[in-house]
Amino acid sequence: MTVDPQRGDAPGRAWSGLAARLARHACASAAERWHATGAAARLLWARRPSASRAVAGGFAVVLALAGAVGVVFQGGLPGRLPDPIDWAALGALLERDALPGDAVAVSPGWAERARLAAPGAVPLLSPASWKDEDLPGVKRVWLVSLPRAPGFGFGVERALLARSARPEPAIPLGGLAVTRHALATPERPLAFLPDRLAHAEVRLGGAPCARDAAGFRCPLEGGGAAEVLRTVRQVGGAPRPCVAVPAGAGAALTVTFPAAPMGRQLRGHAGLAGDPPRARDAAIRIALRVDGEEAGAVDLAGDGWRSFALDTARSAGRMRELALSVTTTASTGALCLDAMTLR
Amino acid sequence: MTSALFTAGAQPPAPSSRAGRLEELARALRPGRRRIALAWAAAAFLGLAAVAGGAGITADEAAVLSAARGGAEGDASAPPVLDRGPLAPLLARAADATASRIGLPHRVAVRLPALLAGALLAALLALLGHDLAGPAGALLAPALCLLVPRELVLSATATADGLSAALGLGAIWAYRLAGRTRRRLGASVAAGLLLGLAVAARLDAWIILPVVAVHALLERALRRGSTERSTDAPDGPGGEDGSDDPRAAALEARLHGVPLAVAAMALVAPLVLAAIWPSLLVPPLRTFAAAVPSGAGLPYLGAPLAPPRPPPGYPLLLTALSVPLGILLAEAGGLVHAVARLWRARRPGPPALDAGDELLLLAGAIAPLAAAQTGIAPLLGGVRAWALAFPFLALLGARAILAAARTAWPARARPLAAALALLVLYPAARAVARGWPALGGTWNELAGGAPGAASFGLQRQERGEAAHAILPELEARARPGARVVWLGVAPEAVAVYAADGALRPDLSTVADPADADLAVAVLDGGSRDAEYRTWAAFRTSRPVSGVFVDEVPLVLVYARPGAWR
Repeated sequence: MTVDPQRGDAPGRAWSGLAARLARHACASAAERWHATGAAARLLWARRPSASRAVAGGFAVVLALAGAVGVVFQGGLPGRLPDPIDWAALGALLERDALPGDAVAVSPGWAERARLAAPGAVPLLSPASWKDEDLPGVKRVWLVSLPRAPGFGFGVERALLARSARPEPAIPLGGLAVTRHALATPERPLAFLPDRLAHAEVRLGGAPCARDAAGFRCPLEGGGAAEVLRTVRQVGGAPRPCVAVPAGAGAALTVTFPAAPMGRQLRGHAGLAGDPPRARDAAIRIALRVDGEEAGAVDLAGDGWRSFALDTARSAGRMRELALSVTTTASTGALCLDAMTLR
Repeated sequence: MTSALFTAGAQPPAPSSRAGRLEELARALRPGRRRIALAWAAAAFLGLAAVAGGAGITADEAAVLSAARGGAEGDASAPPVLDRGPLAPLLARAADATASRIGLPHRVAVRLPALLAGALLAALLALLGHDLAGPAGALLAPALCLLVPRELVLSATATADGLSAALGLGAIWAYRLAGRTRRRLGASVAAGLLLGLAVAARLDAWIILPVVAVHALLERALRRGSTERSTDAPDGPGGEDGSDDPRAAALEARLHGVPLAVAAMALVAPLVLAAIWPSLLVPPLRTFAAAVPSGAGLPYLGAPLAPPRPPPGYPLLLTALSVPLGILLAEAGGLVHAVARLWRARRPGPPALDAGDELLLLAGAIAPLAAAQTGIAPLLGGVRAWALAFPFLALLGARAILAAARTAWPARARPLAAALALLVLYPAARAVARGWPALGGTWNELAGGAPGAASFGLQRQERGEAAHAILPELEARARPGARVVWLGVAPEAVAVYAADGALRPDLSTVADPADADLAVAVLDGGSRDAEYRTWAAFRTSRPVSGVFVDEVPLVLVYARPGAWR
């Protein structure tokens, strides 16, 4: 038996009628809600605050928020910084675990309370950049971070990670985090020449300089004397252990180290001391003589801490007399010079 | 004294009107306005005295003290050195000679003129705040100015900056008064006197004269335009024709319409300046050049500042990072509010708003910032170069807070205003307590406080100011007879500490780290070359003590073995 779909009582027709009614009902109620919402919106819009009142209200809210931010910031700052006990814990940790060849780095760079906390045998280094600066004699670096301090960045962490053989997990010490980095290629100098200045001879323009308690005093042509010292000076924004030589002496200054252990390379740095230096953009010429023979020379130009390297492979593995001769176009101030022999 | 300020937009009574005179008398006797000003002056003096008792001596304050004592030798009988702005040294010398006799420490005695100038600043702000926003404005405006930590310390130390700002505000206040009072001549002369004194304190205060001259021109143009649009509009406050003071009107007629106060400032100020600073007349150019101290070398975003002009945006950025956030936003809102009011004042019809006040406030706030940016003002540390802007910003901020409360919730305007004021002022007061003793290096929430600012390479303190905080420990722990080298602390500051008994008499001062047993190194974020040389001389880079604010070192002490107990 078949049912004529055109009949009114056919089941399909009944279902479609019901769906249509439901759809009409849904449409009607949606339209009603839409009208009600619209009416409410129109009512609210009609009762909206004036523009000036809205601006004033917004300004008051912003002021209140700013005040709250101030209160929260001031109140929360001590919790983001280390306590004295955290620094004491750092001191104890370094006292216990630090080895010769270890050094401390801080991040951010201003967190120099670590200088007070660290044992005297573990130096705190603050080079201008941890990315590529020489770290002579350093095998491991203890990075002391204040990760919750305002202005903290990961620049030092990234630079040390790039130089690190195997990163170790950070040790949390309250507001501090301490991470030990073993350097992948530590520089082990055979000799850091500024440390040998006491055994050196110094000449200015061929005339010998007199040794005194602090270093050497070189007589100047116009009277007076210029000092050659083992010191620490600020060059390029960082402390540099170096030999300070007078820049305006007018003649070549030669520092001769009588028996220096030689390696494949002599690497060093030079720059005008002071920040800013008294003279700028001075050209510097450094000549190296080994056992009285010319072994190379470099010309350095520009500001800051400039590095140089000279090949000494011919003398590697022997003790040799090594003479560094320095001339500069700067007429005043001092030149900061370091050099080390590398394997 | 019966002269009185009229509130903005009010019409001064005609002199011939008996009722008007009575009303003026009643206004003058009304206690609220002046009582608030006096109370603020007293409170500011006491509060600033408390700050002055503990604040260290910066290099610039030491220069003032050196000039007051007749040079670096500190010979009290020598005449003062007046090659820079001479007013601050002269006042410091006079105050020291007077107040130290009654047992006040020298450090506080030399700061007494600055404290009085701070009290004057607070009183003037209360008066102007009252004129602009009623009693609540009188209460709020001085607080908004003096709770900015850097402005607070300027008003508590003997540098010329706070003195010049107070006198400059006084000159502008008198200029404004000259347009609104019957005693126009007296107010005009007072404006000239105060301007002369402000310039004698700090040379770049001369910018006030072009500011008021331009203000007078613009105000006249605005008023003329308004009158043309609405012929029945009355003259602005004070009466354009000066009919209330016949002598003033006659003088102004001779001056071809130049406002009397502007003319008085142009004529009287140079006379005052020449009387106080005679050397200015002999070699003016050389004196002008010598009068500008330099902040070259101070750290700014990790690099040293280089003269003659600061980097673009320097005053704005430093203000944005050093004024407490709530006050900063209130002041920014105040600037926008003033511009909006100025715009509304241009509408045709009777003037409902005093465009002159809006112009004056905007010019007073913006001109010092522009002068600092363009190099007209000297390159100084911190916000000192544009210290004159802060009183105007405070007035604008106070009015904006009160106007916002009144407009946003008229039925609860007072409680809302009080709540907003509390929310804005409390963090600022706390920042003052937190930044102590180095208020000259206080940074706000946007900078991240002292740690954030140090990370950005900003200045940590005004040169030498935190050294005072290490003195108690030095007294307790330095070996008897130890020789101390002071790195970054002016010799005059050390001499004052010693004279006040804050420094143990057996401790001697040496100039070379090689000769010293102890080294006190002040860290301002700039060069540390001298400190590093001390490392070499002492054979250690490990300090024995220090002064820290939020872990940022401000002072480090180094010692040879046995020199620190």
